[in-house]
Amino acid sequence: MLRRKGEGSLASRLVRVAALWSVLALGLAGFVLVGLYQQAGERAFDALLDQHAKILLASLLPEPDVPAAAAPAPTAGPAIAGQGPVALEPAALRLQAPGALGEPRFSLPLSGWYWSVRSTDGSVLFSSSSLVGDALSLPAVPEGETSLSGFALGPGGEEVRYLRRQLDIGLASYVISVAIETGGFRSDVRDFAGMVGATLAVLGIGLVGAIFWQVRFGLRPLTRLQHSLAEVREGLMDGVDEDMPRELAPLAGELNALIRSNREVVERARTHVGNLAHALKTPLSVLINEARSAEGPLARKVEEQTSHMQTQVQHHLERARLAAQRRVIGVACDVEPLVERLVRAMGRIYRDRDVELDWQAPAGLRFRGEAQDLEEMTGNLLDNACKWARLQVRVQVRQLAADRSGRSFLELLIEDDGPGLSPDQRREAVQRGKRLDETVPGTGLGLAIVVDLAGLYGGEVALSDSDLGGLAVRLTLPAADERLVS
Amino acid sequence: MRLLVVEDDADLNRQLVTELVEAGYAVDSAFDGEEGHFLGDTEPYDAVILDLGLPKIDGLSVLENWRRDGRVMPVLILTARDRWSDKVAGIDAGADDYVAKPFHMEEVLARVRALVRRAAGHASNELTCGPLRLDLRTSRVTVDGSPIKLTSHEYRLLSYLMHHQGKVISRTELTEHLYEQDFDRDSNTVEVFVGRLRKKVGSDLIETIRGLGYRLGEARDA
Repeated sequence: MLRRKGEGSLASRLVRVAALWSVLALGLAGFVLVGLYQQAGERAFDALLDQHAKILLASLLPEPDVPAAAAPAPTAGPAIAGQGPVALEPAALRLQAPGALGEPRFSLPLSGWYWSVRSTDGSVLFSSSSLVGDALSLPAVPEGETSLSGFALGPGGEEVRYLRRQLDIGLASYVISVAIETGGFRSDVRDFAGMVGATLAVLGIGLVGAIFWQVRFGLRPLTRLQHSLAEVREGLMDGVDEDMPRELAPLAGELNALIRSNREVVERARTHVGNLAHALKTPLSVLINEARSAEGPLARKVEEQTSHMQTQVQHHLERARLAAQRRVIGVACDVEPLVERLVRAMGRIYRDRDVELDWQAPAGLRFRGEAQDLEEMTGNLLDNACKWARLQVRVQVRQLAADRSGRSFLELLIEDDGPGLSPDQRREAVQRGKRLDETVPGTGLGLAIVVDLAGLYGGEVALSDSDLGGLAVRLTLPAADERLVS
Repeated sequence: MRLLVVEDDADLNRQLVTELVEAGYAVDSAFDGEEGHFLGDTEPYDAVILDLGLPKIDGLSVLENWRRDGRVMPVLILTARDRWSDKVAGIDAGADDYVAKPFHMEEVLARVRALVRRAAGHASNELTCGPLRLDLRTSRVTVDGSPIKLTSHEYRLLSYLMHHQGKVISRTELTEHLYEQDFDRDSNTVEVFVGRLRKKVGSDLIETIRGLGYRLGEARDA
């Protein structure tokens, strides 16, 4: 078998891959957008904190002529983290209590705006009045770093953004901290993330839908190719439609070449079988008649063996013909003119028998197969009927309702008023490859060929008693769509 | 009764001719389509046995040409291609019957007999005229039930007259239907045969119509 299982649909594969990629890309875009939004907000807070830290620092440092508070004598200039060292006169290096920083919220109790100045041992030197004696509990500036910013909880339980900065003045170190309430910044970020998520989800659904339609639209020529090929198989078309997109046109061309080559192979096989038949049968006729006209044991032996050869040749030629049928695709023929031709020929062949031949076939009904084969089957059945009939032979053709798989069939009913067959004989007659009528003139292969040929086309032969008194043969065969009958 | 056999196989042709001559027919033979077509077109045969697979011109074309030119003699086709499509094609081309190869000579003889008889308008294999009876299957002739012995030419003459009872047959027509193509024909011999036949079957059965020819049996509209 060439078909691998579990490959699924090409369209669903394309849609799945594209959808997965879209979801990943959109998700990533969402994360980046939210991250950027958050960073921008944090930068705005940090800029504000930095500004207040600088004001605080400025107000901590005494005026040059103001006596210093309890600060140790410096050995080096002060350095403000992140700002580079600030050169100060050694005499001026004493911190003073800062005054108002220009922001009234630093003075309101638990306003969410706080600052404090600690010495390195952790003791609070100065703090904003908004802290009302409480302390800001913030993480320490890591070793080797000079500043730290982040989110923390203020003394009122509110979320604050803080900035801690280490200040080295001479030998002494201080840590100044400024914190301001974020006022719902984090929930803003969450809301923003929600909006971005919803927008991207809608965009994602739209994209997947567009991909679906794009794939459907893109693969439509494949469906057209499939329908075209089905029509070839049905016998409605000689070849597939080659008017296809650039990518499929070569495939359609190759398919047509395959169909043509298939027909040629069958035609060659047929011709070969026909030639073989002719080549064998003429000398066989000579041998048979020469032996029959001569006397003696040799002549009798030749007669016996040629008769055997005749049966074998006929049998194997039929087999070869049947084998050639298997590969025929994309052919169909009209039933009515074919039946009409055969009935006319039978009337001529059996004109001495005075048999009345009635026939009825709807116009436009088509057999999905070779005309030669339908002719062979119908011809053999009609020939049998005419051979055995007393006065009347009746042929009726009709279209049957489509079966469950949607395939339609046609039925040929051929009846005669001859002696008919017993139930046992009927059973034996429709077994494939069996020969029943060996005693009747001819080779006795007639009915067997019909059964075999019908079987090859997925049809069948059923025998029963006819209303006329003789045998009724019901031949069921696949019908081709009648759309294209001209 | 004069027949034409068109068959390219020399042995089969010879066998057919031998058997048909033995059965009382005058037989010409041709070995290809061209020769067969010419003979069938120019000679008045009572029936033709035509093989379909012939050199030069194939049998179907020969038959179609004859029919197109208005030649109406019955034609029996011999064919190795025995599918119904081939048989029907033959019948459609104008054949009256077919025999599939390989065949038994008896079958061909029976078919030829039937064709000739049918062409002359007879339904039975036994032709009768008064006390005279001719059995086509056995070639036996009886007068009032007693068999009489005839030479082959006498039989051919009687058979032709029996097939065309009641019709006036000219001497030329008789000559044309009694002898093969190569036979040295002399119309006087017909008179001799008629005289001998009259002695054997009774002088009043074969009537001489002066200036026209001979007639067997009662006059009939032809």
